[in-house]
Amino acid sequence: MPAFTFLSFALRNLKRKPLRTAMLVFSIALLVSALVFILSFVRRVDSVIKVTSDRLGSDIIVVPAGSRGAAEDILLENKVKSFYMDMAVMDKLRHIKDIDALTGQTYLVSIVGQCCDVPETIVVAFNQDSDFIIKPWLVKKLGRKLGKGEAIVGSESAMNISVGLTEVDSVLFGNMFKMLGVLEKTGTGLDTAIFIDESNIGDILKSGKTILKPEQISIIFVRVKKGADPVAVAGKIEDSIIEVDAVARKDIGRNILDTLRDLNRIFIVTVAIASMLSIALVWAVFSAIANERAWEIGVIRAIGARQSHVSRFFLIEVLFIGCIGSILGILAGTAVSILLAKHFMLLKNVTADLGMIERLLIALISFVAGVGICIIGALSPIQRLKKMEPLLAIKGD
Amino acid sequence: MAQIEIRDVSKIFTVGDLQIRAVDDVSLGIEKGEFLSIVGHSGSGKTTFLSIIGGIMKPTSGRVLFEGKDISSLDDAGLSGYRNNTVGFMFQFASLLPILTAWENVLLPCLFGSGCDVNDKKRAEELLHLVGLGDKINAYPSQLSGGQQRRVAIARAFMNAPEVILADEPTGDLDEETEAEIMELFKKLNREQNVTFIFITHNLDLARQAQKQIRMTHGVIKEI
Ligand SMILES: Nc1ncnc2c1ncn2[C@@H]1O[C@H](COP(=O)(O)OP(=O)(O)O)[C@@H](O)[C@H]1O
Ligand SMILES: [Mg+2]
Repeated sequence: MPAFTFLSFALRNLKRKPLRTAMLVFSIALLVSALVFILSFVRRVDSVIKVTSDRLGSDIIVVPAGSRGAAEDILLENKVKSFYMDMAVMDKLRHIKDIDALTGQTYLVSIVGQCCDVPETIVVAFNQDSDFIIKPWLVKKLGRKLGKGEAIVGSESAMNISVGLTEVDSVLFGNMFKMLGVLEKTGTGLDTAIFIDESNIGDILKSGKTILKPEQISIIFVRVKKGADPVAVAGKIEDSIIEVDAVARKDIGRNILDTLRDLNRIFIVTVAIASMLSIALVWAVFSAIANERAWEIGVIRAIGARQSHVSRFFLIEVLFIGCIGSILGILAGTAVSILLAKHFMLLKNVTADLGMIERLLIALISFVAGVGICIIGALSPIQRLKKMEPLLAIKGD
Repeated sequence: MAQIEIRDVSKIFTVGDLQIRAVDDVSLGIEKGEFLSIVGHSGSGKTTFLSIIGGIMKPTSGRVLFEGKDISSLDDAGLSGYRNNTVGFMFQFASLLPILTAWENVLLPCLFGSGCDVNDKKRAEELLHLVGLGDKINAYPSQLSGGQQRRVAIARAFMNAPEVILADEPTGDLDEETEAEIMELFKKLNREQNVTFIFITHNLDLARQAQKQIRMTHGVIKEI
């Protein structure tokens, strides 16, 4: 004989209208997957911006006027872009008060077939004497300075160039470079770059394989003196050197952050509307169920079911729908967020992936939301049903 | 004091501007082990009256005391316990749950009581044999005739060995032979276990088999 318990009772009730149950599960799954995707998206972009400004080790970045966005694209999103300003800017900066240290970098774009035998990527030429940006990782990896004709690659581009275990030689801008190894993952846009010393620039210019002109530089990183306000210093830089943009650390990624905030708002509104719709749907379905089964509830109340028994029957059904829907939604949402990350412009090159704990947390929040929505939606029909007088429920009043 | 004391019970339904006195100031004492029949025209208030005694409808005014205790003073758990253990109700209309088998329907009252154990499961089976449905234990209500469904509902009313059986036209759509058998069963339980029986019927011959007979007219009762 089959098991005869509250659980089996509730499950049999769910099977009475399998299509309706499936539709409800599907709706909850859709909602939860949207929630998972949106939370993952927001967290990812959030963390990449935080990681970048934390790790940059620079209080201000100075770039050619109008190239601020391009610089952020490189630093935050690994986009491949180039922009140049006159190296004389360095000297002008040295005259500005409250600046503690300066270092410049030149960004070169590699293009297969034309100049180089590596796929399109940013080649960063930097000054190893003044550098305070790359050094911390470089020292960890190599334990010495990069020599002329030597390069080291960011963790992400390693796959493209297939360096790693062995040393490989590659042609960059008509010059042969020895790839020494791979830097540790930093979670910033520089993970896809290749790093070389500034001293190589002369030979690269000679090769004529780049649009870079002599005495040009892409970006200058600035460290301010202790106690100085980076925002104020950045303002001063922009006032005194008109051909540059200066962005304080806390403003790095501002544009992206603002876009993200707008997206965030759209997402929140979307999720709120979807949640409300889901609550309404659950409410409608359970109101229909309550009407259909009113007389059955009247009968079981008449033979001794308490109000709490009635709640228990329906809660099992609601929880079943909520849990199955949420679990399916979490699986789908996680899959979509991983898949779409590869196609979404904002996320495409964002290197920071979500950690296991973060994913679990997102899953947990979404699960609670999915189940919660089911319970909220079903609450009033259940409440109404269990308060009915048994005889009236049976007679269908 | 009688086992069941009905004191000044009235039930008024309000439909729009209309007030219907379904039960009109009824007082009655029913002794333990009594065998009582109620007759009356349809719409005279019989079902309403029986439901008030069974605790499945609240009177507009008046009280029902069971062994001295006012059942309207009970909380949900207490009242549910009263419906579950003390009374066995047989409805005038179909009352089996379609998703449960005959056996599970009979077993249902114990699910809401102390839970169903092996003895309960055996008892449910025996009750089905008793009402002549030994071969329909695993049938669903949709696979049973109206008369068979009614017999399952009768078996269910006995499941928790109640002290009072309240039966609303219990033999309504049974053939005469089964009707007689069911009446014999009622009388036997009444005699041997001193179970109180209150049953509504249209059939005056059946009504006459009861110790005490009541006629209901426009919500008012009169002993006959
Ligand atoms: N829920 C209700 N709402 C309004 N009127 C009702 C309701 N239930 C019963 N009545 C009325 O109360 C009277 C008694 O009904 P009922 O007790 O079912 O009679 P009987 O069982 O004797 O046929 C009838 O006039 C009926 O129309
Ligand atoms: Mg009736």
